[in-house]
Amino acid sequence: MGRYVVRRLLQAIPVLLGTTFLIFAIVYALPGDPLQALAGDRRVDPVFAQTMREMFHLNEPLLVRYWYYVRDIFSGDFGMTFRGLPVSTIFEGKFQVTLNLAMTALLIEAVVGIGLGLIAALRRGSWADTGVLAFTLLLVSIPTLVSGFVLQLVLGVQLKLSTGIDFFPVAGLRDGWRSYLVPGIVLAGTSIAYLTRLTRTSLMETLRADYVRTAIAKGMPRRRVLGRHALRNSLIPLVTYLGADLGTLMGGAVITETIFNMDGIGRQLFQSVYLRENSVVVGIVTVLVLVYILANLIVDLLYAVLDPRIRYE
Amino acid sequence: MRVTKGAKFIAGSALLMLAVAACGGGESPSTPGGGGTTTAQPVRVEIAEPQHELVPGNTAETSGAEVLNALFIGLVNYDADKKPVNQIAETITSDDQVNWTIKLKDGYKFHDGTPVDAQSFVDSWNYTANGANAYEGNYFMGSIVGYDEMNPVDPDGEGPQEAPAATATSLSGLKVVDNLTFTVALKNPFSGFPTMLGYTAFYPMPKAAFGPDGKVTEAYGKSPVGNGPFKMAKPWERGKDQSISVVRYDEFKEGQAKLDAVDFMIYTDLATAYRDLQAGNLDIMDQLPAEAIGSAKAEFGDRYIEQPSSGVGYIGFPIKTGADYAKSADIRKAISMAIDRKTITETVFSGTRVPADDFISPVVSGYRQGACGEACTYDPVKAKELFDSAGGAKMGAIELGYNADGGHKEWIEAVANNLRTNLGAEVTPKPVEKFATILDDLGAKKWKGAFRMAWIMDYPSPENYLKPIFAAKASSNYSGFDDKAFEEHIKAGDSAKTLEEGIAAYQAADDILLKELPYIPVYFYQTNGAFSQNVKNVKIDPFERIELFNVERA
Repeated sequence: MGRYVVRRLLQAIPVLLGTTFLIFAIVYALPGDPLQALAGDRRVDPVFAQTMREMFHLNEPLLVRYWYYVRDIFSGDFGMTFRGLPVSTIFEGKFQVTLNLAMTALLIEAVVGIGLGLIAALRRGSWADTGVLAFTLLLVSIPTLVSGFVLQLVLGVQLKLSTGIDFFPVAGLRDGWRSYLVPGIVLAGTSIAYLTRLTRTSLMETLRADYVRTAIAKGMPRRRVLGRHALRNSLIPLVTYLGADLGTLMGGAVITETIFNMDGIGRQLFQSVYLRENSVVVGIVTVLVLVYILANLIVDLLYAVLDPRIRYE
Repeated sequence: MRVTKGAKFIAGSALLMLAVAACGGGESPSTPGGGGTTTAQPVRVEIAEPQHELVPGNTAETSGAEVLNALFIGLVNYDADKKPVNQIAETITSDDQVNWTIKLKDGYKFHDGTPVDAQSFVDSWNYTANGANAYEGNYFMGSIVGYDEMNPVDPDGEGPQEAPAATATSLSGLKVVDNLTFTVALKNPFSGFPTMLGYTAFYPMPKAAFGPDGKVTEAYGKSPVGNGPFKMAKPWERGKDQSISVVRYDEFKEGQAKLDAVDFMIYTDLATAYRDLQAGNLDIMDQLPAEAIGSAKAEFGDRYIEQPSSGVGYIGFPIKTGADYAKSADIRKAISMAIDRKTITETVFSGTRVPADDFISPVVSGYRQGACGEACTYDPVKAKELFDSAGGAKMGAIELGYNADGGHKEWIEAVANNLRTNLGAEVTPKPVEKFATILDDLGAKKWKGAFRMAWIMDYPSPENYLKPIFAAKASSNYSGFDDKAFEEHIKAGDSAKTLEEGIAAYQAADDILLKELPYIPVYFYQTNGAFSQNVKNVKIDPFERIELFNVERA
């Protein structure tokens, strides 16, 4: 088990190097001059440009610059922005916000998704099943951008103006956990739909399995059959999905955080791409890759918990 | 590992919940009272994140300038006619428009109690002018004697040769005469010099700003000590803090501001900020999202602000090195007359722009309404006649270059359609990834077609809309315009005895541009703002800064 974890972590190193290099190359291959972005429509002052080029090695070839970057990363230095701020300062507190948001979304997703999936699977063919399926179809077809703005307008502005209920903040993080509610729902939206359908299919399949029939036949209470035999065995694909989804949710936070003005890495990523702050973009994506790798590792380890037949030596 | 896994799994999700719950505790418990307006709440103003620490010389964007405008005052302020009026300055005088003597009023103080003296201006300007500090406001000092010694130019651009080392660390053109007097020597006469002095880059900085090594300290950038009606309530950590809090400075010489505290709230998305404004979680926005402008007027009524801002949008031509149609003044005029400015500004820009009728923006004195006359008036019939008589049909497709990253596609396409319909010309809009590509190609004389261009003023003088863009050797001259008479008028304006005399000369130069049309002025930018019911008396100055000193609680 321990050796397995170490092996997986070691495998992560080339993956991390490969992905960061790709991102690094892509970001720096974008046409245009990041220094021009600093100046807007104005011509960049030549003296200023000269100073900056030297400071950021902009005249060096890509590989050399990547080498500088990796070297600095290993000494814990994510570099500086063109606007003179250490990237690590920008990161401070922001990952927490995004993690909170992703966790809120994951929780909403797990509760609603598995719950709805259960209902649909247990009442296959009933109006409840059809209703759930129609609902998931609706969820999938509404883009985050739309649901975000609509919920913000309806819950944040109109609810307050028409009823005086000031429960859902429009934006920002000033209202503690309530700030995460609406963005969490928006972020979870599409995933809820997928998870519901996955739960439904997976559970229906398990319910047809021999051992479930055996369990029912030997007179086990229905609750126990469902909980112990059926649900637990159908959890494996769900956990895989949820684990992988954590990474997706953190990435999906780009839109949600921007709409709700939340000071997380998603909004920062959006802003940094826009401002061409390459060092921040590469830094954020590197950490996201790391999160993804770790989430997948945890999922793999959870398999062993859920299914005793799976063992890691 | 064989434990009862069910229990483990639940433990896992309990952990998740803990993580979620923990996040709630971390935030400050400033829950707004349900709908009611408590007077203790600071007035909240929308800004984007300032791009640098809050140091005057390093702030060249509107958000940072907005905050600094509350913390600092300059030598001059601007009246309703956009003319400079002395604020800290007692007098700003010159006999030859080259050597200026600035006398200060006594009694202004920085927030740390030290007096605002001549040295505080000279120190601040010197620091900004120093190329080694890479300050954004650096180029504002370019007209002062000694700037070139501090900012040596690399002889071969990006080539292997290094730029020579700077030979000075202070501007030789700045001299402190006594505590309240200093002199400024300019490289060239400029009658409009006083108009520059109200800008952020020209604010003074106290002794406390500089560390023992002579550099502006990090602490100062986080918590700048200014001389204005407000002071920092607490340091601002850029990149981390999502609001900047200032409180009233009670000993301000001109009296106390009416607001006791202002919070500048950082937003990345204007639409989000606008919702907060609608819901009453935000008090002042000096910029509105384009999609809200149609409804904002009705929704906010007299709490809606609409006024010209300093930007001008053009279609430009490389008139010396471009294609045939770019070289012909008649064709350029025909193109200008074929553009339906009114429809474009109203529909494409939903009213965030207004049709341009001069090279000089309406926010500076010297603007003449309708100066462009016939050339900027939509007249498809005359345009077609002119186009045909100048042989436009045989000159090939007209290219309209624009940068695809700046939201210009729509209006360029609209212009292209105008030209196709009204002139019968073939038009190809040509998107490029970045604006710099167009600028670089123009610089290398490789760009042949028309291109979009915009200009935002540095200081409210008509000169700023003429000389930097159209003087033969100007840094931003992309059209290649080079006209003796134009240069003469500019020179006359620069060395005029008074601002008024100068304006007349600048207008004469403007007339030449309006005849030649190296650029076609298409639209003026507008400032659209709105404010909540919690405040009143909100005004916005020509630099798009809110005049917070006069804002009151409603």
